[in-house]
Amino acid sequence: MTDVSLEKLTKAYPGQTRPAVNDVSMHIDGGSLTALLGPSACGKSTILKMIAGLLPPTSGDIRFARQSVLQLPPNRRDAVMVFQNHLLFPYMTVGENIGFGLKMRHEPKKDIDRAVGRMLELVQLEDMGTRKPNQLSGGQQQRVALARALILRPKILLLDEPFSNLDANLRLEMQQLLNSLHQELGTTMLFVTHDKEEAVGLSSKIALILNGTLRQYASATVLYGQPKDEDVARFFGARNFVPGKCGPGYFDCALGRFTLPESVSSTGRLLTFRPENIVVGGDNILENSFHATLASKQFLGSQTVLGLQKGDIFFEALLSPQIAEPLQEGSTVSVHLPQRSLWILG
Amino acid sequence: MLMQTNRHTENSRDGLSGPVWFSLILLVSWLVLPLIPLAIWSVSRSWYFPDIIPSAFSLRAWNYVFSNTSDVLPALGVTTLIALCATLLSVIIGLPAGRALGLYQFRGKALVELLILAPTIVPGIAVALGLHVVFLSLGLAGSYLGVLIVHLIPTLPYMVLVMAGVFANYNPDTEAQARSLGASAIQTFFYVTLPAILPGLLIGSLFTFLVSWSQYILTLLIGGGRVVTLPLLLFNFASAGRNDITGAISMIYILPGVVLLLLGARHLTGRSRAVESLRQI
Amino acid sequence: MLERWKIPLLLSPALLLIAGLFLGGLFLGLIGSLGYMPLLGREELNLDAYRNILFSTGFYQSFLLTFYISLMSTIIASALAIGAALILRRHFIGRSVINFLFQLNLTVPHLVGAVGILYLFSQSGFFARLAFEFRLISGPSDFPAMIYDPLAIGIILQYVWKEVPFIGMILLANMQTFGHDYEAVSRTLGANRWQSFRFVLLPLLSPGLLAAALIVFAFTFGAYEIPALLGQSYPAALPVLAYQSFTDVDLNARPEALAMAMIIALLSAVMIFGYARLARRYMRS
Repeated sequence: MTDVSLEKLTKAYPGQTRPAVNDVSMHIDGGSLTALLGPSACGKSTILKMIAGLLPPTSGDIRFARQSVLQLPPNRRDAVMVFQNHLLFPYMTVGENIGFGLKMRHEPKKDIDRAVGRMLELVQLEDMGTRKPNQLSGGQQQRVALARALILRPKILLLDEPFSNLDANLRLEMQQLLNSLHQELGTTMLFVTHDKEEAVGLSSKIALILNGTLRQYASATVLYGQPKDEDVARFFGARNFVPGKCGPGYFDCALGRFTLPESVSSTGRLLTFRPENIVVGGDNILENSFHATLASKQFLGSQTVLGLQKGDIFFEALLSPQIAEPLQEGSTVSVHLPQRSLWILG
Repeated sequence: MLMQTNRHTENSRDGLSGPVWFSLILLVSWLVLPLIPLAIWSVSRSWYFPDIIPSAFSLRAWNYVFSNTSDVLPALGVTTLIALCATLLSVIIGLPAGRALGLYQFRGKALVELLILAPTIVPGIAVALGLHVVFLSLGLAGSYLGVLIVHLIPTLPYMVLVMAGVFANYNPDTEAQARSLGASAIQTFFYVTLPAILPGLLIGSLFTFLVSWSQYILTLLIGGGRVVTLPLLLFNFASAGRNDITGAISMIYILPGVVLLLLGARHLTGRSRAVESLRQI
Repeated sequence: MLERWKIPLLLSPALLLIAGLFLGGLFLGLIGSLGYMPLLGREELNLDAYRNILFSTGFYQSFLLTFYISLMSTIIASALAIGAALILRRHFIGRSVINFLFQLNLTVPHLVGAVGILYLFSQSGFFARLAFEFRLISGPSDFPAMIYDPLAIGIILQYVWKEVPFIGMILLANMQTFGHDYEAVSRTLGANRWQSFRFVLLPLLSPGLLAAALIVFAFTFGAYEIPALLGQSYPAALPVLAYQSFTDVDLNARPEALAMAMIIALLSAVMIFGYARLARRYMRS
């Protein structure tokens, strides 16, 4: 299993003030399924193309199993890329598409046919080998694109927004297929997505790229619960930020003094807590509790958003509709921020 | 932003190697080269073998071209007039047909398209020889009107194809919207339809003009030598060996095309239909 | 009710004119080639004209010469156009200038190009003078004949000159629609540069390339003024022969001229058929 290292990888285009990819260093474990996550045009696809060898980096290095691959052309890197729009060759049959890579290696036709048959089975398209790509549905086309890549048993599989052109149900199906293929083949897989649910659901580790720089590279739980800075927190849906001052084991702000869990460093100036972790309307006054005014209430079906205010500070809480039901707009409610939900940003 | 990323992908192939530059320069020089002796001839007085450059320069050819006694200015007028009329007629007749082909699906559409495409591919001589007899008996042979009519064979289909392309990217719902806001049919055409199709219509008309401007064999056959356009004059001077006058006429003759290219080069790049139709020139 | 007549109404003026002039011209040419000449009082149809030309060596020589000119011009122009398009789609300094010069002769009429070629390649032309300057030849007659020559080099040079930008621009437009991604994916699948061109780009381009080549072939097969200016008098290219027969003082040659026109039309009809099929396949994929 091949691990991938990016060392200070930078890509600057002439005539642009800011590099598209800026000093990205990260290590991707061999056999892992890793996501490069970020909004569109953040540079994540550029990183993928540099790994595939389709774009030369301006500076920095890319290593597969500790060997630099910068000098290798794309066809000798053994890193196969699957694109957002399947890009099946329209003039070839499905079978010819899947066998394309083996044909380029001049393998005997008999072997190619056998391998294509196996791949068709693997992606559940047994009877489709002689069809043309435009006779398949969107999901089937993307499965053929996967099979065309996987038949080569590449060391690294690179997926650029592979499922974003599919509708929600198909996407789920394809994600499950990718997951099972990953477990079966153990290939190192790196995929680019702008969809944080997809990244969270599929990958063991997520690299968040914003404006060409790697902001945080960690597991999904860490990115949600312990974001490195406000941008990362906001990208993952955090909306409550309260400025204040840290002391040993506590944080002072306009909402009061909060005791921090031991794992949280007490150096930052911004307190954050996820809306879904807030307890509203409890009777007992616990530690880390205070009173606030219920400014607004919005029913969203499975959840209710509460807008809460204390002094100048406004924050949001997500509650199950059942619990939120009796709370009256304009009334004063008790609010509890459980210790484990608190996180301090630098 | 996605587009930008794609452009950058191409950008990565920046720079050409020496041999590639060399062959590119060679090719482009080859494409420009035939025009150069024409330009030089137009200002030469004597340029005999084996001189690489003329031994004497003069504006004799240009003086002749613009003199009252030469046929060049009348020919220029006739060529321009026929091309203008052919363009105007093509617009009037071709615009509705282009609209029908661009906006609607109907039975037999493929056949109609084939009929309109065919005259742009079948050489003019194959059609004009047959027409000649009828034009003769109608008194159209040897007349300006006859030449104008026969020029419609290449220009009209060209205009229809261009306008079909323009209307394919046009949303007719805006017309319905205008009508519902109280505009009459004529107001709708002038305030809604025309502004939307105008850029395509203008470029199409300019190229249609050029299609007529470039006709040789149709004019020769139907005009029978009595309708003298610039290309006929050019051919005669070239075969008579009057290289200086040939050069001067050539320069005048290519002028509209070069101006048009300067105006519309960007419209050509990336549009195969537009380029394909240039086959008429 | 109005809606029902809308499409026919929009189409009919153009269709009537095109059908009248184009199909009418072809039809009149056809019956004329069969000997129908009411002005001369001949109203019977016969195949004499076709029999005459098919038994004359002059026609065969003209036909083969024209076919050879069209084939060579189309193949050479296509090959050069592919090369040019491959270079011009890349980004490099000075690209817009080169691009403009590449397109320059698209709007230059054929006749002007033919005269230019004449002044460059005739035995007293520019290249002959250069050769004399460098003592490669001792006089105009030593310079290889490229104008009025049996191999029709001048004519082919002119067609190549004119058609390379035409085919090249069509290929460039096609390349722009496909983008680089197909080739990129093939590269990551293990294709080297050559394989990526041979197995991916070329098949993608081939419908457009073939369509352009068909148009060029049909045009070069029926063009009159270029062979008339640059070609030898015997055997002449087919359109030139047809024109000569048509303007012959002997009116009996007219059906033969029309028969040749019909043969040119038939050949371009084959090209149109091929073009329409390609265009349809192209649309579907």
